[in-house]
Amino acid sequence: MSPFGTSLRTEVGGVDLDTPVIVASGVWPMDPALWPEGSLDGVGAVCSKGLTLKPRDGNPGCRIVETYSGVLNSIGLQNSGVDHFVAQELSAFSFAGRPIIVNIAFETLDDLVETVEVLKGSALKISALELNVSCPNVTRGGMTWGIHPESLESAVTAARRAWNGILWVKLSPQAPSVGEFAELSQGCGAEAVVVGNTWLGMAIDNERERPFFENVFAGLSGPAVFPLALRAVWEAAGAVEIPVIGCGGISRPQDALSMILAGASAVEVGTALFVDSRLPASICRELERHLREKGLSSVGDLVGRARR
Amino acid sequence: MDSGMGKPGSPADRKGSLVFSRKVGENCRHIAVELSEATAPSAPGQFFLVREWGVFDPLLGRPLASTVSGNCRLEFLFQVTGRGTSRLASLTPGAALELRGPCGNGFPAPVGEKLLLVAGTLGIAPFLGAVSALGEKVDVTAVLGVPGRGWEPFTEWCEDKIPGIRLNSDDGSLGRRGDPVEDSLTLVGPGRELWGCGPEAMLRELGRAYEKGCEKVLVSLERRMGCGIGGCLSCSITTPSGMKRVCVDGPVFDWREVFGEPLRN
Ligand SMILES: Cc1cc2nc3c(=O)[nH]c(=O)nc-3n(C[C@H](O)[C@H](O)[C@H](O)COP(=O)(O)OP(=O)(O)OC[C@H]3O[C@@H](n4cnc5c(N)ncnc54)[C@H](O)[C@@H]3O)c2cc1C
Ligand SMILES: Cc1cc2nc3c(=O)[nH]c(=O)nc-3n(C[C@H](O)[C@H](O)[C@H](O)COP(=O)(O)O)c2cc1C
Ligand code: FES
Repeated sequence: MSPFGTSLRTEVGGVDLDTPVIVASGVWPMDPALWPEGSLDGVGAVCSKGLTLKPRDGNPGCRIVETYSGVLNSIGLQNSGVDHFVAQELSAFSFAGRPIIVNIAFETLDDLVETVEVLKGSALKISALELNVSCPNVTRGGMTWGIHPESLESAVTAARRAWNGILWVKLSPQAPSVGEFAELSQGCGAEAVVVGNTWLGMAIDNERERPFFENVFAGLSGPAVFPLALRAVWEAAGAVEIPVIGCGGISRPQDALSMILAGASAVEVGTALFVDSRLPASICRELERHLREKGLSSVGDLVGRARR
Repeated sequence: MDSGMGKPGSPADRKGSLVFSRKVGENCRHIAVELSEATAPSAPGQFFLVREWGVFDPLLGRPLASTVSGNCRLEFLFQVTGRGTSRLASLTPGAALELRGPCGNGFPAPVGEKLLLVAGTLGIAPFLGAVSALGEKVDVTAVLGVPGRGWEPFTEWCEDKIPGIRLNSDDGSLGRRGDPVEDSLTLVGPGRELWGCGPEAMLRELGRAYEKGCEKVLVSLERRMGCGIGGCLSCSITTPSGMKRVCVDGPVFDWREVFGEPLRN
């Protein structure tokens, strides 16, 4: 039971949430036994780590580097594969007692469809599928699915055909126009868009005179990207009718409120959990405080209020 | 033996206040932190992610082994090597800190009665607590290696905490000339357990202890970390038995689990 009031309850893209705060993909253990004390408070839903059809060891070499107020990561989608997830990890994950959003990554459309088929066989409930389109499309020379309109369209359409449940599309901030890509996802049948994933960056190891990461580029997240993500959410929310879920750099309770005022119906928090496992609860307290101060009764009333 | 060692206590995020920060030589600090609420007791080898409270730059908590851990008081010994540790070193008593821990699996209580601890410089940190925790029950010998000149304040500090610690230095200016692995290999034998913490190359060399009949070699590894609790996979290592996370599957591992089967004569 959520310790927070009913004013934070909301329905986002077909998923009922006790609070609008979701744990983003890839940052938190899927086994709640590993969660620090109190960190489930205020969490409305949890995303799985990025799953792929086959198990992946992830990237070799160094995987994380701190930057000014942020981190660059190059994990490379290490996961035990979707079969193992359904057979083993999902039951422990379900102990969190929160809606489970399953995040999937894929190299080809066949991979995508096969992954979805495995998920369909799960006896445990999957509240939504979150399609990560920031992974490379190997049939197009490794170009990210989410930065080319036809590529994105083919992926969302394939996922939509294969999956009868709720479908969220997690957009890549590298897309040339977040608004257009959100609209495209909506047109292909997504119930919500998540805006967005990490921002491509890089680091150089000056001593070795080489790129720091084996893969050269890596994903930037954390407080440093918040203003960029906020702008992207604003654009997406102006372009679509379906809900937008804000994600990127939310590190303080006020950031989550800003995202919602900009048009996000819910938020995902990632990197900030590395430093504050109680952030979801603090966000909820801030939202409740703001609702009281403005004399509003529900978090839904806050969505997009800065756009009036 | 029930010393509670090695058992993982659930990590929690805690606010702490810096009690003291003492220089140990040019580049190291010994600090004590008073926590707002108790944490689970930590075993030698377990660690905390430590950062200045409420600051986003530097962002990440730095993994540090707790040298002394009471319910509400923790102590650390660290070397200033970059942005995060210099920031921590610049704080004065009363400063607010954020700590996540105790994280990971520490050293399990030794099976035998003779234990050899081998440390490369700051690798001594997790052993400071072990020596007192094990008390009289186990015959403990500690071996420390440092580069040499300039490390006297550090070695003196360690000698004060662990009387009888065997010193080795690369240039021979402090204790024996040579490295701590060679020194420790003269001491190992059947019935002795060995724990190591320090540079990875040193830890790998410790596998030679098996040739001398040593049955158990445990090592504490270091990797860059994000979450510290097994979620982000920043700290993954490839081992003969698959991918492992240093933060939750370690940092303390059986030598064979990470380096494979040692060569035996
Ligand atoms: C389990 C564990 C226990 C440790 N215990 C101690 C201890 O008791 N005393 C001590 O002096 N040191 C200890 N270390 C090493 C210590 O964490 C690093 O020296 C420290 O994080 C470096 O941070 P910085 O701000 O000085 O360097 P920066 O270069 O500014 O750090 C940048 C990033 O790299 C990471 N990083 C850099 N070097 C290391 C490293 N060797 N290991 C892990 N992350 C690193 C930092 O955490 C940070 O995220 C431990 C490491 C681990 C993994
Ligand atoms: C270590 C790490 C691993 C991540 N893994 C995934 C992943 O597997 N799938 C995915 O869609 N996003 C992944 N992300 C992106 C986050 O879910 C989030 O979208 C991004 O970090 C921006 O939000 P933040 O600034 O709050 O972290 C990962 C981020 C980090 C830092
Ligand atoms: S630091 Fe996140 S999994 Fe180890």
